[in-house]
Amino acid sequence: MNMENILAISLAVLLSPILGGVVAGLDRKITARLQGRFGPPVLQPFYDVLKLIGKEKMIVNQWQILCAYVYLVAAVLTVVLMALQSDLLLIFFVLAVGGVFLVIGALAAPSPYSQIGAQRELIQMLTYEPLLILVFVSIYLVTGSYKISEILKFPEPLLIPLALMYIVLGYALTIKLRKSPFDISTSHHAHQEIVKGVLTEYSGPYLAIIEVAHWYETVFVLGICALFWHTNIPIMVALVTLTYLAEIVVDNICARLTWRWMLRHVWSAGLLLSFANYTWIYVR
Amino acid sequence: MLDLLIGLCIFLPALSALLCYLAGSSQARARIVIATGVVLAASSLALYSRGTFSYTPDSILGLKVNLLITAADFALLFIIFGIGWSRRSPLIMLLTVLQILPLAYFEFKMVHHVEVTPAFYGDDLAIIMNLIICIVGSLICIFGLPYMEEHEHHLHLKKTKQPRFFFFLMLFLGAMNGLVFANNLLWVYFFWELTTLCSFMLISHDGTDIAIKNGSRALWMNMLGGVAFVCAIILLYRNTGNTEFLSLQYLVQRHDLSIGVLIPLALLCLAGFTKAAQVPFQSWLCGAMVAPTPVSALLHSSTMVKAGVYLIVRLAPAYAGTNLSIMVATFGAFTFLTTSMLAVNMRNGKKILAYSTIANLGLIVACAGINTPAAIVAAILLIIFHAISKGLLFLCVGTIEQKIGSRDIEDMRGLYNRFPTVTRISIFGMLTMMAPPFGALMSKWMAIEAASHIPWVVAMLALGSGLTMLFWARWVGLLVSGAHLGPTEEEGDESSLKALTETMAHGFYSRQSKWQDSLAIKVPLLTLAAAAMALSLSAPWAYTRLIEQRVALSGNLLPATGALGATGDAGSFYVLPIVIVSFLGYTFAVLSALKKGHRVISAPYMCGEQSTDLKTPRFRGPLNLWTDYTAANIYASEFIGETKLTSWINIAALVILIVLFAVAAQ
Repeated sequence: MNMENILAISLAVLLSPILGGVVAGLDRKITARLQGRFGPPVLQPFYDVLKLIGKEKMIVNQWQILCAYVYLVAAVLTVVLMALQSDLLLIFFVLAVGGVFLVIGALAAPSPYSQIGAQRELIQMLTYEPLLILVFVSIYLVTGSYKISEILKFPEPLLIPLALMYIVLGYALTIKLRKSPFDISTSHHAHQEIVKGVLTEYSGPYLAIIEVAHWYETVFVLGICALFWHTNIPIMVALVTLTYLAEIVVDNICARLTWRWMLRHVWSAGLLLSFANYTWIYVR
Repeated sequence: MLDLLIGLCIFLPALSALLCYLAGSSQARARIVIATGVVLAASSLALYSRGTFSYTPDSILGLKVNLLITAADFALLFIIFGIGWSRRSPLIMLLTVLQILPLAYFEFKMVHHVEVTPAFYGDDLAIIMNLIICIVGSLICIFGLPYMEEHEHHLHLKKTKQPRFFFFLMLFLGAMNGLVFANNLLWVYFFWELTTLCSFMLISHDGTDIAIKNGSRALWMNMLGGVAFVCAIILLYRNTGNTEFLSLQYLVQRHDLSIGVLIPLALLCLAGFTKAAQVPFQSWLCGAMVAPTPVSALLHSSTMVKAGVYLIVRLAPAYAGTNLSIMVATFGAFTFLTTSMLAVNMRNGKKILAYSTIANLGLIVACAGINTPAAIVAAILLIIFHAISKGLLFLCVGTIEQKIGSRDIEDMRGLYNRFPTVTRISIFGMLTMMAPPFGALMSKWMAIEAASHIPWVVAMLALGSGLTMLFWARWVGLLVSGAHLGPTEEEGDESSLKALTETMAHGFYSRQSKWQDSLAIKVPLLTLAAAAMALSLSAPWAYTRLIEQRVALSGNLLPATGALGATGDAGSFYVLPIVIVSFLGYTFAVLSALKKGHRVISAPYMCGEQSTDLKTPRFRGPLNLWTDYTAANIYASEFIGETKLTSWINIAALVILIVLFAVAAQ
């Protein structure tokens, strides 16, 4: 454990929530403008979380607390592991366990809303997880390693050999970030959902924990996008920004769809694109 | 010393089986079973500490061992023929005849005596299998003691059938030990058929129509594997003209593909597929659930199905670098994907476990097919972790079933409030199947990394992996679902460390319901849970040890695509940080959850119409009446209904098998 690693870990732990929170604030602002509203201040997500932390602790089932914390720890760990340039699949599995515990916590509360939300969240995880693995495998096929430290040594931007996989990643990220049309388990659009699906029974400080964890996850997601143009920092920033803007636009022009449609459409499109791209890698 | 230990592992269970059969009282039987378990565990540990060995006995009681085995082989086949006769099952009789005649032709006409040295051989794989059989298997047998009392109590039997039950249970352990140590393929075949017979007897133990039907199915499917086995032996000899090829070690180390060993190898793999219940043979293992829980636990975790994957992993170096190997990987990955899909569709807890077993075996087969040292190590680790976790889960579900009288997972909603300790162990068992840093997931990770160069295999593994995550997460969620019954703030404050140890020992709600089960149920459950935890912690070191041996063994035998495979480059220190960090993470989360403080317990939200009574979540419905809500899992039957999908899966699996043989015949 040298100084560099400690620095990376502390930066990841401390800066990610700030970055994630700002991204969430910008997201809300832009979304509001797209919908013809003025929108909240950019720092509003931070005010929200601070307010939530100050609220009374309220639970339905003790397991929710454990699950909220595991979700947070897993999200922090994914970002830390990414900062340490660890193995992509390993990071993926840590991310997955966080998602699993979020669902367990929702299932623990005997409320129909959170139960249905949990089932839908499971289907969402089922939809994006294989795609994410396929993306990581394609990165391995091109660079010969799953370790981020090795991937960063690859001389050419990954987007060129893996253009189709970037679309697959786009699908996975839209589902992971629960943007329309894939905001099936819980939606942040008030016109699409009144009761908050999988988050229904999390409240007060525990909801704040989940909110912060979500910021970490956003940073993780943006980090994976950044991997696709690691050779040049300005282009990397541009790529990530454009990707997120595209997410926001898609989020606002689509309506929420059913999980059946999602599973059928995303798996077939994702597998097709993946195999096309794999073939391209072999042909090249 | 070595002969004594091997003798103990193989013959002691057989001897105890006889004693169990003759024992007059259940106390005597219990003593025999427990004593055998202890001795077996000790001798397997002693064998483990000795390391790799080879051993050839001269004779047993003055008789040539080969002769004995041959005689026993025919006796066994005639017994099975007799069973086929009494069951009026032409299929079983036919499959038996198809083994008796070729075997007789081979033994008496083609070769006169086969001398294979060493007769017994133990390397890392065999010794690990032996440990699993002796320790996990024995624990399951001990669990069976109180379970069978309860079971027969439910059935209101006039005359106990336990002597016969424990006879076959113990014999099974002996046969498995023989199977993993034997080096002569003819001996392996004998033990192979012995496990088939034992499993048939145990599956049809209850004697109900369905038990007999499913038992017969298990018998004929495994006899099919037996036919493949005999054909493989004969072809091996015919193609090479050398009895040395009947030695597993010679076969594996020779790695000479020019002389027609691929077809016999494919046949042996087919035998392994039947025993490991891979698609399209999955139905026998699913049907085996009608048997009492100890039987399913034994079949699924430490014996029977593990014999199938053992053979495939054992033979892996022999077919390394061939197209057959790639087809084996494809077949395994296909099984993993399809059975995971079927598991998502199940609401019967035991069936979820059954399909998950088949899926994991498929993953092991896929690892054997991928055939890099890292993949083989992943396969061995999976065998270990799966045996322990699945053994544990079957025992848990069996215990739960006896408590609530149902296997339906929807009936297990909120079980945590009723039986906290058993539920907590079950949840732990499920987490060991799917969450980092536990071994099963780490092995899956290694498998995916190793499979990366075969795109379709990795795609199937990725999809299957998502599906397994789904059904485990859902089940854990159901178990903890329910109203809050825990102590509220007036309980007084404890230090969080004390709260943690208290929870570890008794469960969250230990003050309300104590764990009331027999010691013979508690000890196996707790031992297996502790073993799962300890082995996951020691996985990094086990990994390094195994991979070093593999690399030393394989040397130049394996294709040169990165001698270590994908994960090999860093050894234990690659896995170690994540193990430590995950445990720290979980501990932090548990401590935070247990921290005392002001908390309001509320009723779940039901549009503001919820009842204020916290124990029973209800809402004010029509006519102002209190109404319960219901929720159920998504089983996606319109996509993946078992009846709808199974025939398609079987057809696809048959196609893959045909391609596999076509590739081997090239």
